[in-house]
Amino acid sequence: MNASAGLDLADIPGRIQTEVQRAIQRSIKGVEYIATSGPSLGSTPKDILHVRGTMNLYHYRPIADEIYRVPILIVMATTNRGYILDMVPGQSFIEFLLKRGYDVYMLDWTAPKPEEKRLRMEDYVLDFIPDCVRRVQRDSGETDVTVIGYCFGGVLSLLYGSIFAGGPMKNLICFTTPVDFREMKLFQNFSDRRYFDVDRLVDSVGNVPPEMILSSFEMLRPASRAASQVQFWENIWNDEYVKSYRMFDRWATDTLPLAGEYFRTITKDLMWDNKLYNDTMSVGGHGADISKITVPILHAVAEHDHIVPYDAAKPLIQKIGSTDKEEVILKGGHVSLVAGANAIKRLWPKLDSWLCERSI
Amino acid sequence: MADKSNDPAAIWQNMIGEMEKGFNAFANKAMEAPEFSKVVNQVGGVSAGAQKQLGDMMEKYLLTMNLPSRAQMVGMAERLQGIEGQLNEIKALLHQLHNNSPGAPEGGYPAAPKPPRTKRPPSAGGE
Repeated sequence: MNASAGLDLADIPGRIQTEVQRAIQRSIKGVEYIATSGPSLGSTPKDILHVRGTMNLYHYRPIADEIYRVPILIVMATTNRGYILDMVPGQSFIEFLLKRGYDVYMLDWTAPKPEEKRLRMEDYVLDFIPDCVRRVQRDSGETDVTVIGYCFGGVLSLLYGSIFAGGPMKNLICFTTPVDFREMKLFQNFSDRRYFDVDRLVDSVGNVPPEMILSSFEMLRPASRAASQVQFWENIWNDEYVKSYRMFDRWATDTLPLAGEYFRTITKDLMWDNKLYNDTMSVGGHGADISKITVPILHAVAEHDHIVPYDAAKPLIQKIGSTDKEEVILKGGHVSLVAGANAIKRLWPKLDSWLCERSI
Repeated sequence: MADKSNDPAAIWQNMIGEMEKGFNAFANKAMEAPEFSKVVNQVGGVSAGAQKQLGDMMEKYLLTMNLPSRAQMVGMAERLQGIEGQLNEIKALLHQLHNNSPGAPEGGYPAAPKPPRTKRPPSAGGE
């Protein structure tokens, strides 16, 4: 060891050799990257039970010999595609649930067509979700249904659960679901009612374009895209890193437009008037007070969530009417909470141990 | 074991990470200011309006040229997807009917499996 420089001289040739090999690999893999498409995502076998406009209901084919009595309906966030929960085999939340013996359905969304710009919050909460629940009941032959909502899918599930408090929802699981929209500070500032004319936007563009949704997410961490591309180039020699990067990058940029009227309600009722937190929310004339929900609930939140900060999600468990309620704070961010190595280790086993006892 | 404090690759990666954090924190601070919202929404409002007008103009132009617009192509693709979905639904129903019919050959196309709903949690089932 050279004491003055602190360098291990014996290691230098080895380091140089590794870096040269990686540089060569980067060039080879870089060409491969351009010439090939990413891994096939969302490939767990499923049947399409129903398609109506922006709404898609899937049933994943059970793979266990024996399944729990209560089926699960996953309600996806309206801004993103459901395949985040069904990446590749071995990294798919859906596959995990099927292997553990659950019967899984998913309410996923496609881009609303221009003529669907008039879809309102009522259509999502009073029509799409109840329609899917009825179809799950019919297909499974069971009355009870467990609902899992991710991000804004969680908000829709809460609204549904508070209006249909008498059932048939048996359990509710929310992932990173905001309730106090004042605490989403940057989104609050982007949509400041003094400067953001939501009526003008919706009236002029119809559906809110996906580029606008994507850039509002990216603005929360403006340097992260550039930094991740630098890191990607650094690690392009590593096949596992490239596979993971491609999966998450594809999903993150595959943002959906939002139906105009629906976006208008989100902005006015939730971002501006914070009605869900203030217990004044109503959908189609039905009061949607989450204290009316009394079913068992698990709320999983991420420690480093930059999209839904913990303070925005925290009041859910405080305000809900259930006595059987639990909040679990896990390491990770908004996406790594539900998908990837972090989720496999933390969230998925936790969810299984909570839900299995409540699915019989 | 290699000393990370002397590893140029590790130093570089650490520097990138720190720069990212620093820039994000700085930008977030700046974005919290009401002036930021004012400017962004002024620019965004104008550009959304302009984009809409351009889109409308382009649509009229394509209509004159007897060509489909992007929105029409996307609409068509999604309708095709919908038709494919419904075909899958019909296919699944046909397979179900076929498998349930008395003369269905063994080893025919498998319908969606319907395992019994009798599973118990590991603790309750003594697994």
